[in-house]
Amino acid sequence: MSITLTNISKRFGDHLVVHGINLEVQNGELFVLLGGSGSGKSTILRMIAGLTAPDSGRIELNGVDVTDRPAQKRNTGFVFQNYSIFRHMTVAENIEFGLRIRKAALAEKIQRRDELLDLVGLTGLGSRYSDQLSGGQRQRVALARALAYNPTVLLLDEPFGALDVKIRAQLRESLQEIQKKLNVTTILVTHDQEEAFELADRIGIIEKGTLIEVGDPEELYHKPKTEFVATFIGGGNVLVGRVKNDQIQLGPINLPFPKDAPVHEEGSPVRILIRPETILLRKNNFRLARDIKLSVPGQITERIFKGSLQRIRMEVESLQGFWPATSGYGKQLTRIETVQPNSPKDEQFLPGQSVWIGIQKYHVLEPTRLKVLICFDPKRTASASLEFGCQLARSARGPTTVLTVVEPDISMDEAKSRFELLQPEYFAQLPNLETKARQGNVSTEIILEAQEGHYEIVILGRQEKSPGRELGFTARQILTGINIPILLVEVSRPKIQRILICTAAGEPGKMDVLFGGRIARQIGAQVVVLHIPHPESSRAALRRIERHLNQAQDTLEALGVPTEYRIKEYTHLVEGITREAEDGDYDLVVIGASFQPHPHQLRWMDIASQIIQGTSRPVLVVPTGF
Amino acid sequence: MSIIDAKAEPGRTSGFFPITILLLVIFPLLIMPLAAIYFFAASSGIKGFIETLRQPDVLFALRFSLLIAFATALINGVLGTYTAYVLAKYQFRGSKALSILVNLPVAIPTVVVGTSLLLLWGPIGILGGFLDPLGVRPMFAPAGVLLAHLFVTFPYMLGAVKPVLDELEKTYEEAAYTIGASKWQTFRYVLLPALRGGLFAGALLTFAHSLGEFGATVLVSGNLRLRTQTAPLYIFAQFEAGNIETANTVAAILATFSFLLFFLLLRFTQNDSQREQE
Repeated sequence: MSITLTNISKRFGDHLVVHGINLEVQNGELFVLLGGSGSGKSTILRMIAGLTAPDSGRIELNGVDVTDRPAQKRNTGFVFQNYSIFRHMTVAENIEFGLRIRKAALAEKIQRRDELLDLVGLTGLGSRYSDQLSGGQRQRVALARALAYNPTVLLLDEPFGALDVKIRAQLRESLQEIQKKLNVTTILVTHDQEEAFELADRIGIIEKGTLIEVGDPEELYHKPKTEFVATFIGGGNVLVGRVKNDQIQLGPINLPFPKDAPVHEEGSPVRILIRPETILLRKNNFRLARDIKLSVPGQITERIFKGSLQRIRMEVESLQGFWPATSGYGKQLTRIETVQPNSPKDEQFLPGQSVWIGIQKYHVLEPTRLKVLICFDPKRTASASLEFGCQLARSARGPTTVLTVVEPDISMDEAKSRFELLQPEYFAQLPNLETKARQGNVSTEIILEAQEGHYEIVILGRQEKSPGRELGFTARQILTGINIPILLVEVSRPKIQRILICTAAGEPGKMDVLFGGRIARQIGAQVVVLHIPHPESSRAALRRIERHLNQAQDTLEALGVPTEYRIKEYTHLVEGITREAEDGDYDLVVIGASFQPHPHQLRWMDIASQIIQGTSRPVLVVPTGF
Repeated sequence: MSIIDAKAEPGRTSGFFPITILLLVIFPLLIMPLAAIYFFAASSGIKGFIETLRQPDVLFALRFSLLIAFATALINGVLGTYTAYVLAKYQFRGSKALSILVNLPVAIPTVVVGTSLLLLWGPIGILGGFLDPLGVRPMFAPAGVLLAHLFVTFPYMLGAVKPVLDELEKTYEEAAYTIGASKWQTFRYVLLPALRGGLFAGALLTFAHSLGEFGATVLVSGNLRLRTQTAPLYIFAQFEAGNIETANTVAAILATFSFLLFFLLLRFTQNDSQREQE
């Protein structure tokens, strides 16, 4: 193994630039680190070269641990974006520099220099100075200079970034040729995905200092694992559905899981990727076309001419995913983008037209861990929700967003200062954390964010001293309108170990048990499923309840969650649940509540409200129409 | 740019009047005084010229001036380059303030510099008061002259080297490190040659300014014959004593010397910029 990185981390001040990178690059491989600016990719390269010291982790080159060696003793070839050609030296002297330092014999120097001039296509230019060369030629000199002393590895930091498109293409070709010819292990850092695809044997995608995925270019393009990679590479339409009866439910449409799809739990969200070029467009419906997996009607909103291709954006109403639009909060339409050939014979597609969209292929992304939204408003609510929320997010290790909303008449700087005031321990060990600020009406903005971000759980602070309004407008809207579970926290808990799932009266809900179980599994907690039957239940009804609870236990145990169930009789439902919660000292109480338009709707809201009022423990309300 | 070039540009063809006016202003202001030195020097004849040069005072003053200028250029060459390197490479608290501070000597009247040096190092000065009983008296001695010149010319080296350093990419030295060059090798083979132009220009400027320094020197030297009297001080003293011809001879030599340095500098910087344009 030419390059082995083990758990490399680097921090600049408060900023974690590189976070626990593990990477192995094979002998002779051309590996590309692809990422946006500030993703930490250049820092990784500089750490390999010894120009920056890692805070922790080990670096091995050719099996030798070089972590503590200075740059001079690592024998790497480094090419910088800005060339850094020594300007007082000729091209030949630049190339010979490494050999001069190594005290090579004159004959060897001359021979090697001529070889390299020839290799990089600069024969005859050896006596020039860098200011007499073009940018492309300078970079060729830099490459030759880095290769002259047969380095263990070649490291290129955005080598073509400062060059124009045409020269870039030529240089890419030369680099690939030279790299294969010399078989030198190479890492190239770039933000240009086209460059990455063209050059790489394998690509590593890096974002916020974390290596998100590694794979060969085709694998990453067609079968990415994460949403980030799916949308970062190429144009990607990612739709979010939900697993229902082992199928992908996308609004009114059900799709089967492809054979190679990763395993998803029932009820959990499913992200599917549709590449723009796998979509066909017709003015009429596709009738029995064999290669079409799904066809839906849509409307063209935009067409961009791109030479041989045209990029077409459409809005589709019927692929809404499982977050249905709520009237009053912006009709949420799914946007789909496609790339179509642009031949004059083809049908013309223009904005405003209605078309049929035929999807030939879709790919299911890996299930994500719990995606959490924590709403933070220091003026109205205590910090307990933030504390508990961060703890939950930390245990679940999923993507987490902390949102604060500032009123329209207050500057956005206020949001910044709110985050600055937060105690850093809340955010410790939350690498997947994003802080976000929105401006506008607090309730509206929270609901919009919950809807747009496809969160799985929204954590709200409890307004103190507002009896009877435990489930406020925002919470009700999120529960009934966009069907996302809500967690309300009054007093935080030191740990989340014991979860009480209350299935309450009537038939035990399915989604609340599954969702509670999903959380328990991700954070490693125990579950007790509680049922309080109606005081006048018949024996048959009780037997049915027991059977349901048995099933619930089996389901949860199958997920690997230690589960018990209890049937307890209380005359008063709310009192029973709050008493059980206290007696068992639970860290989280899960209540399922149906919010479907139903005669009992109001009653359910009241019950949920009363339970929240009756206990100071964190309460998770799961909409069972969910 | 020559007049011919200017003609080639549209809108600048008839430059007769502006050019005439410019020459009319410059002639009495710059050209005539310079000519006067040589005119007077020539009027006393070559014999008088050589005779003047034979006087030990004259020889000492010229030698002393050159020696001090050489030492000043050498010491400030090293100090200024080091300062420029630190200021260009490191960002630290107060680095901005420091870079203003080190350029301050240009703005301070040289007589003020002389005064402040006397107040610090003089026999009753802040530091000089302690040194005096030990027999160390930097003022009214060659060391004092050197101190004054170092102070006055400090910014010139910095001003010549820092822009070159600023222009070098941050990765310039790193490139050498990855290739395997040690810190010393990087300095010797990579950094120093890149600074060559700036070092030379800065050293010449420092030298030239030191050669002509008067205000600070006259205060700290005590103007002692054959001990601390530099060429400019000698000229002044002779003028005051009414020996205008002697004063003028030395002035002519000093002026010639300065011209030579100036053209050397011009030649050098032109060569440098020409190569860059190729």
